[in-house]
Amino acid sequence: MDTFVLGMLNGISFGFILFLLASGLSLIIGVMGILNLAHGALYMIGAFAGWSIAEDLGLSFWLAVVIGGLSAGFVGLLIERGLFRYLHNQLNEQVLVSFGLVFVLTNAVQWAWGPIPRGQFTAEILSGSLNFGGYTYPTTRLAIIVVGLALAVGLWWLQDRTRIGSVVRAGMDNREMAMGLGINLERISVAVFFLGSFIAGFAGVVGAQILGASSAQSVDVLLLSLVVVVVGGVGSVQGALLGGILIGIVDAFGKTLFPEFSMFSIFLAMVIILLVRPSGLLGKKA
Amino acid sequence: MKVAQRFLAGESSPDRLVGLAPLIVATILIIVLPLVLPAYLQSLMTRMLIFAIFAMSLDLIFGYAGLISLGHAAFFGVSAYTVGILMVRYDVELFWLGAPAAILASALVAAVFGIIALRVTGLYFILVTFALGQLVFSITFSVGWFTTAGTEGVTGISRPDLGFLDIAWNNRSYFYFVAVFFAICGFVLYRIVKSPFGIALQGIRENEPRMRALGYNTWLYRYIAYVIAGTFAGVAGVFFAYHNGLIAPSNVGFLMSGLVMFMVIIGGVATLYGAVLGAVGITLLQFFAADYTPERWPLILGGVFIVSVMFARQGFGVYLYRMWKRAIS
Repeated sequence: MDTFVLGMLNGISFGFILFLLASGLSLIIGVMGILNLAHGALYMIGAFAGWSIAEDLGLSFWLAVVIGGLSAGFVGLLIERGLFRYLHNQLNEQVLVSFGLVFVLTNAVQWAWGPIPRGQFTAEILSGSLNFGGYTYPTTRLAIIVVGLALAVGLWWLQDRTRIGSVVRAGMDNREMAMGLGINLERISVAVFFLGSFIAGFAGVVGAQILGASSAQSVDVLLLSLVVVVVGGVGSVQGALLGGILIGIVDAFGKTLFPEFSMFSIFLAMVIILLVRPSGLLGKKA
Repeated sequence: MKVAQRFLAGESSPDRLVGLAPLIVATILIIVLPLVLPAYLQSLMTRMLIFAIFAMSLDLIFGYAGLISLGHAAFFGVSAYTVGILMVRYDVELFWLGAPAAILASALVAAVFGIIALRVTGLYFILVTFALGQLVFSITFSVGWFTTAGTEGVTGISRPDLGFLDIAWNNRSYFYFVAVFFAICGFVLYRIVKSPFGIALQGIRENEPRMRALGYNTWLYRYIAYVIAGTFAGVAGVFFAYHNGLIAPSNVGFLMSGLVMFMVIIGGVATLYGAVLGAVGITLLQFFAADYTPERWPLILGGVFIVSVMFARQGFGVYLYRMWKRAIS
């Protein structure tokens, strides 16, 4: 029973990391229809920038979280203004350019920070463990669950309950009509892309508490977030959350069942869901 | 025969000659260059031809069927690993046994992956092919059976035993050996894309609902194209394994899928010769980059690729071909 509860907790906290990874990606796909393969690279930039602030400069972890998010957001902004702006409605070209960016950004980060991976880092108050109901559990993992929940609620509220959210959805449903109503979609695209990239970098620093920072993350994180998006369904916060937690739990138990195939259980879950529901658990029917 | 008669009668259309000229030049280069170049450049040319087969196979699914597959290196890797494992663990050195088994393995994996990936279209298809490619990568990476001698990957693959053909292997003879299969693959793929099947495939790429309305089973066309593409990627993988001597997870992963995708795009999408030119160009660029700045190679490759997508969407190979046509006429 103990191992089951611990397995569940580990799975859920990893699931919230996965949600953090995937939500920015899912937001950009859902709102702008852009599959940004450089998402993992933005995560990696956030993680390394956070490391520089918190460990190289010895500043506060909370500042690292903000700077990590902002640096990824800034790079995302450059990508949108410099490249994607010229590729409206060219879905294949957008994917291919972002694919090239994975190589460019990964190598640029290796250039700037060197090829050596960085370990976990966190704030002092989060570094202990908490006691509850006879279990002790690392505080960082609980903090990640809290942050993930807050982000999920915040994004859902922004998308479904605010004027900005409804404007964004209107632009997604009918571009011409929204523009005809005087909505500046150009500005909204920029804002959404920045927000999605910011979340990626933010997740990079929050996730570094468990995953550290390495240049391999640009592909690994991309892969995990794509699996989450495929399982949960594109475009909704709820889908990313459900997909993340489900994959997190599958991974936690898969690791104990087939230790040699660490990724295998995740892929198996993805394949089963694709065969049963091709558009993901909460995705709209294509 | 007809062409020759028309040519003798002075009726030969200049278009046809212009169209054939690059092919003739390429054939002469393939035959003559290995005779004059040093051995390490013969090896480089072998690599070009292997990647040309690989790039043409991707072009079938990407260029002609219009489906972006980000996991194409998986099929390349399955056959390369099959060749390696058969040779190192089971002492199968015979080409006529190892190569068909490896190509069959790629075809089978493509047949299974195709069923999963083609459940979905559009962005989802890209996601799923990427994930399936990484699945193969993660298996080669984490399962101990796929590594030999404590290294990363299968080492100690030698050039194959050809049975009844008695060829002394060196860089030059292996190049000609690969060149024969390159010519066969190129010819077969050319016939496929020019066949009614290939034309229908392009129709599906342009307007799927219309093709469906005309009674085509569009899913089946795409599926067959996907399996054929995986099979030919397997052919490239076989020659790569024999050529390289070792096969590592990095030959199966994201970087490899990216490399071949870049070759197709930079060379020219939906033209087989574009894929070949892209493979030649990128391999050459990689060769110089390895001398000059090996660490920054992905940066250069990614940069060239982005510029190519943004500004030369049709590919540099197609530009070269047009320049050639203009220079001739």
